[in-house]
Amino acid sequence: MRKLPLPINHLASLTADGRPAALPRQFSRRDFLKIAGAGSAAGLLLTNAKPVAAQSLTSTERELLLHAIDSAMAAGADYADGRVIRTQFEAIGTREQTITQVQNTDSFGINVRALVGGSWGFSATRDLDRESIANMAREAVAIASANNSVAPTETILAPVDVYPDENWVTPHSIDPFTVSLEEKAALLLNANAEALRENNIRFVSSSVLSVKEERLVATSEGSLINQTLFRINPSMSITAISDDGTDFQSRSAVVEPAGRGYEYILGLDLVGNAPKWAEEAAMKLNAVAVEPGKWDLILHPSNLWLTIHESIGHPTELDRAYGYEANYAGTSFMHPPEEVLGNLQLGPEFMQFVGNRTEAGGCATIGWDDEGVPAESWPIIEDGIFVDYQTTREQAAWIEDLTGVTRSHGCAYGQNWESMPFQRMPNVSLMPGEENLSEDDVIAATERGIMVEGRGSYSIDQQRYNIQFAGQVFWEIRNGRKYQMLRDVAYVGRTPEFWNALDVIGGDSTYFLGASFGDAKGQPIQVNAVSHGCPISLFRDIDIINTA
Amino acid sequence: MAEEKGLSTNDLRAISDRILRMSVADHCRVNINSGWRGYTRVATNRITSAGGRDNTAITITSIFGNKIASVNTNRFDDDELELAVRRSEEMARLAPDNPEYIEELGPQNFSSVSAYYESTGSLEPQTRAEAAAIAIQQAATADQIAASYMDVRAGTSAVATSNGLFGSHSSTGVAYTLTSRSPDGLQSGWAGDEGNDWNNIETLRVANDAVRKCRDWNKTALEPGEYTAILEPTAVGMLMFRMMNAFNQRTADEGRSYFSNPAGGNRIGEILFDEKVTLYSDPSYPDAETAPFTNSGLPVNPKVWVNAGKLENLSRSRYWADQQNQEAIAGPSNFIMQGGDSSVEEMIASTERGVLLTRFWYIRGLNPRIVSYTGLTRDGTFLIENGRITRPVTNFRFNQSLVSMLQNVEMLGPSVRVAASENSSVSTPIVVPALKVNGFNLSSVSDAI
Repeated sequence: MRKLPLPINHLASLTADGRPAALPRQFSRRDFLKIAGAGSAAGLLLTNAKPVAAQSLTSTERELLLHAIDSAMAAGADYADGRVIRTQFEAIGTREQTITQVQNTDSFGINVRALVGGSWGFSATRDLDRESIANMAREAVAIASANNSVAPTETILAPVDVYPDENWVTPHSIDPFTVSLEEKAALLLNANAEALRENNIRFVSSSVLSVKEERLVATSEGSLINQTLFRINPSMSITAISDDGTDFQSRSAVVEPAGRGYEYILGLDLVGNAPKWAEEAAMKLNAVAVEPGKWDLILHPSNLWLTIHESIGHPTELDRAYGYEANYAGTSFMHPPEEVLGNLQLGPEFMQFVGNRTEAGGCATIGWDDEGVPAESWPIIEDGIFVDYQTTREQAAWIEDLTGVTRSHGCAYGQNWESMPFQRMPNVSLMPGEENLSEDDVIAATERGIMVEGRGSYSIDQQRYNIQFAGQVFWEIRNGRKYQMLRDVAYVGRTPEFWNALDVIGGDSTYFLGASFGDAKGQPIQVNAVSHGCPISLFRDIDIINTA
Repeated sequence: MAEEKGLSTNDLRAISDRILRMSVADHCRVNINSGWRGYTRVATNRITSAGGRDNTAITITSIFGNKIASVNTNRFDDDELELAVRRSEEMARLAPDNPEYIEELGPQNFSSVSAYYESTGSLEPQTRAEAAAIAIQQAATADQIAASYMDVRAGTSAVATSNGLFGSHSSTGVAYTLTSRSPDGLQSGWAGDEGNDWNNIETLRVANDAVRKCRDWNKTALEPGEYTAILEPTAVGMLMFRMMNAFNQRTADEGRSYFSNPAGGNRIGEILFDEKVTLYSDPSYPDAETAPFTNSGLPVNPKVWVNAGKLENLSRSRYWADQQNQEAIAGPSNFIMQGGDSSVEEMIASTERGVLLTRFWYIRGLNPRIVSYTGLTRDGTFLIENGRITRPVTNFRFNQSLVSMLQNVEMLGPSVRVAASENSSVSTPIVVPALKVNGFNLSSVSDAI
């Protein structure tokens, strides 16, 4: 399996060998005062902006966690794992030239998951004293025992090596929680100002959401792993209103979240790019209504990544295929495993999809998962054929005989201390083509087509067959060139036919990493953050509808 | 009577007072959410996960002049609380001016709402396991496979401001849903209940309905197109859950909504829907009760949004109200559509050709100017011909303006509380009737079951 290339939308903030670059900060305090108005800001900014002491997980938390595991085992668990998790969010939001939101969230607690017979029980508490923790552990065991007596069942955990003392931190050069709010605000307000300069632009909103997850995982088998994960989610939406006030159009989803530090935000050049995005919003007002029918379709990776998430990522979740999500997220058309594994032709021979928790900058990139399984990379679709699912330790055994894979792919994740870990999507990425085509090459290969940039309104059925996906910007391609902007475009189809219509893909120079902070699954619902890398891709004869 | 879940009013007040005393900001607001959640989940006819957790989270909002920032924490020993207060103050000092900030509210008169039901608050894990067993039993007896979920919540919340406002509220909620599927995966049926009061949840009826829908539903082809549609209450509720967000005056006044007047302002006072359509909110509505205040402490009072087709009110924030020299109106905390007296059976009997829809999936906005959405039908879709159900049909994607749907209402059933969230968790209370509507746009076939 080839290695995935570095994504082009990350390159500005990486060194040549792919490490986070030490970028210069773009805003001085003086810049900020200019924007905020010297009068209002004067005198209040003398305090240092560094966050109040960030409490990281120490030997105290390690001891408490081991106490939780010991208590569960003493109460009769056959296996137990647990986590101490502290999750911090910082959100700053702006609208035009005002700040709409400054919020910090800090949630800290401990959980334990116990296996009794083949049944799970889970309990969590924010009370970090020894007695509360022992009670929590006993409650998890009691729930597991009750479930085991109502509906006994078998659970086999795939083997995993023991990691008694490991540490992992998301590669970053700037911890976003050390960057002052004023610097973040200045960046956003400056970008907004640039967008508002363009004709017809009336509204602009932008924000940066920073996440820091400190996670200590322990298992009754003896693993103890300490990790700090960083993720960052910039966003910007620009709205143009027509001169007569009867129409409005927005350009959103201009940049992607990433599993990176603040250097990633600096590399995006929001200020420099804002006029281009604003111009696109204004152009949408006068764009030509799309003619519904069959078109060749070029999906820019800023759109294609979400199509991958919905139509390849979700149906290859093994718990879905087995019916675990039937009451909410749904099941999978890639079912039953014994019929589809190694047989289902989902695309052309050059189509390779890789599941991974290792990709540089990926939101699902980690060191170890919530069950202490080390991060890895594995083929999901090989030469166009479906070959493997996403798994946890419990699930690996279900298809071991079909895949020959005896170990978990490391896909267990619980969104915070309150949440029981279960199978969540890793990064699932489409390998670029070996011919190394550029974006221009792919456009040139299109006589009559539509190119879609940016994710729009996405909807797909509960088995992942019927797709209706829209975008942000649509270009009509005529004779190998961009001809004019279109509007109200959505592409529709059925997943297997859609991917089998893939005809041309770009090379490394078009590989781009898109991402979502909002991958939802489970009851109670949990969110997961995940990235999908892909090159620009051309699909032939796709049904296009007009959504106006 | 067992002790209620969540911090007591006295504790909520004591913590709020402690924080407000610590605050050195010009203004301070405290929001507290305290409570318990328990759940039991079934798939493949076994319990796959079950758990519980207690948590209390506090949001401290500090304001200096027009500079505002908030900190949310679940740690509140004295030291940690002090740290959180100081951090919110430090962040607020650093925050640029927010010219839309309006000074904190003083004491308010909140209507008295009793939303906490002992039946739900004291529900034990054993009861959840028994409810799960009913789903498994009914499905297994019919040679079907159950995937069910039961979500239970109980707790308290409070808001307090440095201008003397204090409000507290306790509530419970429970949702019980079942998707039952045939072992070959070719049939699927769904049913569910939701309420504040566990005594109103009919587990056996839910289980039997889901099993019956699964047994009856084995898809046969039907062409996409515009159909007369009978939407069961859950299907209506899932759409109204989206519709409720459109009743916002600012987006209307700013030209970004169906309720915008092209000449400027909004369309309050205009007849925009069928005269059978009346939409309102009421925090005291039985078994759909909500807190009588918003996070900022604004009172939530009964409010009619649409009366007999006429747009009566739009919600407006305190800032927008101030700009327009009007009173602020809290957005809908629950959403109620006034029912009629037609049964689903009568709707079917009156239909020459149409479809009956159970629920929807993956509903996403398309065009806010016409409040249009796309999504898919799921777990029970039937063809009606000459006044009776003649056969089950494929699932469909719909592309539908909710405005146009509410302009084409033919018949309404009695209103009931429904499980309107796609993930079947306890959610914003939605109370709606079954509807018969004309011209519902089923745009393409979905092979999903």
